[in-house]
Amino acid sequence: MEFGFTEEQEKLRKDVRDFFMNEMPEDFEPGVETMFSLTKEQTEFWMTFQKKTGEKGYLTPGWSEETGGLGLGPIEQGIVEEEWGRTGGRWPNFSGLHIAGPAVQVFGTEEQKKKFLPGIAKGEAVWNQAFTEPEAGSDEANQQLRAVEDGDNYVLNGQKTFITTYVKPDYLYTLARTADTEPKHRGISLFLVPGDAPGVSYRALGSMGFGTQVDIFYDNVKVPKENLLGELNRGFYHAMSAFEFERSGTGGPASAKRSLEEFVEFCKETMRNGKPLMEDPEVRRSVAQMAIDIEVQRLIAWHAVWWFSEREKLGPKPYDLSGFFTKIFSTQHPETMMNIMGLYGQLRTGSKWAKFAGKVERRWQIARSVHPAGTLEVNKIVLAGRGLGLPRVPAKFNKQIAKALGEKK
Amino acid sequence: MDFSLNEEQAKLQKEAREFLEKECPESFVREMEDGDKGFSPELWNKMAEMGWLGLVYPEKYNGKGGSFADLSVVYEEMGRAMLPSPHLSTVVLCGLTILEAGTKEQKADLLSKIVAGDLILSLALTEPESSFDGKAWEAEGVNVRATPDGDDYIIDGTKLFVHDAHIADYLLCVTKTRDSANPEDDITLFLVDASDPGVSCEILETTAGDKQSEVNFNKIRVAKENIVGELHKGWPPLEKVMQKGAVLLCSEMVGAGQRVLEITVDYAKTRIQFDMPIGINQYIQDHCAFLLSEVDAARWLTGQAVWKISEGQPCDMEAAMAKAWTSDSHERACWRGHQVLAGVGYTVDKGVLPLYSRRAKTKQLYLGDSAYHLEKAARQIEKWPGPEKFRGKAVGLWDIPKEEQIPYWEPWKKRWEEKEGKK
Repeated sequence: MEFGFTEEQEKLRKDVRDFFMNEMPEDFEPGVETMFSLTKEQTEFWMTFQKKTGEKGYLTPGWSEETGGLGLGPIEQGIVEEEWGRTGGRWPNFSGLHIAGPAVQVFGTEEQKKKFLPGIAKGEAVWNQAFTEPEAGSDEANQQLRAVEDGDNYVLNGQKTFITTYVKPDYLYTLARTADTEPKHRGISLFLVPGDAPGVSYRALGSMGFGTQVDIFYDNVKVPKENLLGELNRGFYHAMSAFEFERSGTGGPASAKRSLEEFVEFCKETMRNGKPLMEDPEVRRSVAQMAIDIEVQRLIAWHAVWWFSEREKLGPKPYDLSGFFTKIFSTQHPETMMNIMGLYGQLRTGSKWAKFAGKVERRWQIARSVHPAGTLEVNKIVLAGRGLGLPRVPAKFNKQIAKALGEKK
Repeated sequence: MDFSLNEEQAKLQKEAREFLEKECPESFVREMEDGDKGFSPELWNKMAEMGWLGLVYPEKYNGKGGSFADLSVVYEEMGRAMLPSPHLSTVVLCGLTILEAGTKEQKADLLSKIVAGDLILSLALTEPESSFDGKAWEAEGVNVRATPDGDDYIIDGTKLFVHDAHIADYLLCVTKTRDSANPEDDITLFLVDASDPGVSCEILETTAGDKQSEVNFNKIRVAKENIVGELHKGWPPLEKVMQKGAVLLCSEMVGAGQRVLEITVDYAKTRIQFDMPIGINQYIQDHCAFLLSEVDAARWLTGQAVWKISEGQPCDMEAAMAKAWTSDSHERACWRGHQVLAGVGYTVDKGVLPLYSRRAKTKQLYLGDSAYHLEKAARQIEKWPGPEKFRGKAVGLWDIPKEEQIPYWEPWKKRWEEKEGKK
């Protein structure tokens, strides 16, 4: 085993860190910034920042040079991601970078790659994943949004919900039902829908912490056939395997580590009963435990990156614990910090009495949303089923069970 | 970054697993637990033949000159097989301390004997009172004195929780030899002949049924030649070695945890109740998923600490993190196993799980429990520099008064107007 990096990789890390540190404005406070109601200036700032990063190739370092990347390997991509995570900033185009881009890379035609990838790599485009529907949450295959063939187009009708976005999207990476099949997931296709196509409309959805979610309505939206991604009716499989190609999740732990470093500073400087908080045995223990939790997350994330870099030899990864740990710890940690701060923990950013800039309160609210990419419970079922091979009720019996339950009522 | 074993280590792992499956089946583990000795000299000799006793010693002492990572591979397999042996006491805690601090003569004399399997050693460090005060593994907790008397020293006092003392040829006794401002500068290590009539040893009844003893040193006389290393300078080398020992315990727990996971998942798949395997129930799946996560997290934290030690890099933080996490995590993993196996996991005659979970307790506490190692980690965390500051030009976009935070994008703007319009 080897947990270090080569000299070249360390140099890359230093370059990337210098770039981000020099570009990030000194008055930017990660975790306090008002991301959820982006003003005109803020939107422009983040888009500009994204473009600057794209020019350096740091948005997609793992992509080939002709698609706008740097042609580096997964480990290098993990390093870049980690450094970005440390700054605590957010890409307006996080969906495009993490999900839609890799999917186009793998399943797109040459024309689609030429058309879509450079925009993502240069940081000009904003993509959104539009998967979740009112009736398709944990059960992603229960897509109701219909796509009906009509000459050279598909016509889409239906609704998406809980779609996280900071700015107006240029493209919606949309799952839609193209056939009524049994099992459900064999009749779903992937469409790349322009965000301003006639018939697409948005409704803001306030939510805790970051109110960045919207409903998306598709009303007779015409999508040309060349915007079908991959094979017809294989969209669900494409989407699931594209998750395998998701960029590394090393950013999250790095961001958490920085937050903890800030919290440690706060604990060293803040007095309680005439002593710094950090000298309180309870606080020390909690902080140490959090540091270890984050280290676990970091190693699990790197394990996934390493596996991906060796996938030719190792085959597909049987299970991944990143989401599982992230969901647990990102819920526990703000709770722990809040407990340390007592009554002051509830004060929000902007209150003159708020300690630690109200960051903990914000994180606590955001931590109510650990469900994206599947709730913790769904994660456990996947781990148990796919990872450990435990049995589950075959889907074909679900209707019978539902019927039997109905008869009991 | 590489999370895999290299070719040699994979081979070593395979050999170790095959060897232990043959030599150390469950029946042998039970037999040793019930016996007085708690280990088998025949098996000890076989381990010597396998080269396990000299795995990390230099070749000049007939060792194999292997890396710490190799040793950790073997320890993982030992944990999996629950091998009862004085390996940790003899080879690591005492042997490595001698290698670290001993004189030329001591090394030449003792290490080759250890490698050959002719010598069993035991570390007598922990004491009754300080163990209760949470100072068991610190220099401050050493109160057994060695008082100079002519050319000799007189050792008097009691050591408790001494592993493998009942079979040891020599005890490495950690003593206090002066009172300076810093207790870490007052510690001297003595090799004490266990057959000395002034040394008495009584085995303790413990959770794991392993052989820990109360050892009484009744005013025994030890020659100054028996000081390992230098007078008053015993603590730093011992501390270093205890850190390695703690990480190896983690390796053991990872191996044991992996086995507990296999046992549990296998049971969940094969035990039929309500006409179905119980593993179909999501409560059971929850336990199994958590169990998997505990074992994996411990594996990589331990792997990182092992790698740091192998590379000779400072690893105070990594070792503390590994031991703090793994101690509790292994305990939790076994508990999950018990929830799934229920009665079968509680039955001592046939159930194998109790053997694992009782041993988990020893490893959890030995060489520092999670509370102790969390404190160690906290000391490292205090030294963290604050996060680096951003150096870009300030843009003044973050502290905007509420009433001026007008969203740019239409749907949000609309919502904002609706909310603000009401005010």
